[in-house]
Amino acid sequence: MHDNRRQILEMLAQGKINSDEAERLIAALERSDMPALRDTSAVKYLRVLVDANDEQEGPTKVNVRVPMQLLRAGVRLTGVIPDRAREQVNEALRKEGISFDINKLTPDNLEDMIEQLRDLSVDVDNERAKVRVFCE
Amino acid sequence: MPQEILPPLSASVRVKPAGWRFGLRLWLPLFLLWLLLIPLLILALPLLFVGSLIFRFNLWRSLRAANGVLAATRGSQVEVDKRNTRVFIKLH
Repeated sequence: MHDNRRQILEMLAQGKINSDEAERLIAALERSDMPALRDTSAVKYLRVLVDANDEQEGPTKVNVRVPMQLLRAGVRLTGVIPDRAREQVNEALRKEGISFDINKLTPDNLEDMIEQLRDLSVDVDNERAKVRVFCE
Repeated sequence: MPQEILPPLSASVRVKPAGWRFGLRLWLPLFLLWLLLIPLLILALPLLFVGSLIFRFNLWRSLRAANGVLAATRGSQVEVDKRNTRVFIKLH
């Protein structure tokens, strides 16, 4: 977007377009970029829907909405874990067979992950229950 | 004050136990709870400061992160509907 804007300003400086045309072009550029901006901020909640039907307990419906902001805040919370404790956490994860380094869990990486979550949809369907996990 | 740093100020709770004809609708002013907790936090600050020196963690960052988690719960919603029992909780 910045390149296009600069190009318009250069064209204006070179006298190829006048100020009205530059204004119209920048406005059009902003309009074309707006849906993309809206999309990136679209993932706001993680939704979990459970529709269970137990023979004894009867039907149960659960609807949980968790703000994505909570995930971000949780990751920021890992930033205050002392280094020694981080190593212990990594070691414990390795023992469980999970090769995950919590040092690599940063707010920047998280944004990429949240972006990918937009398309996430987990559907579990069996005789007793239907579970749906998705982002909205 | 931006909303991102404020903890949930109120909660809506709706409960309808089985056998009850009408349910309960409650509005819980959580901000009163935070107002009560702030003096306790101030009293605990010296202890937290000593703890941060012993365990070598950044107290300010920790408090900010903890507040961030609390603030991020705003908008959370839980709804359970089982037979004739219904529970709905929403944090505002």
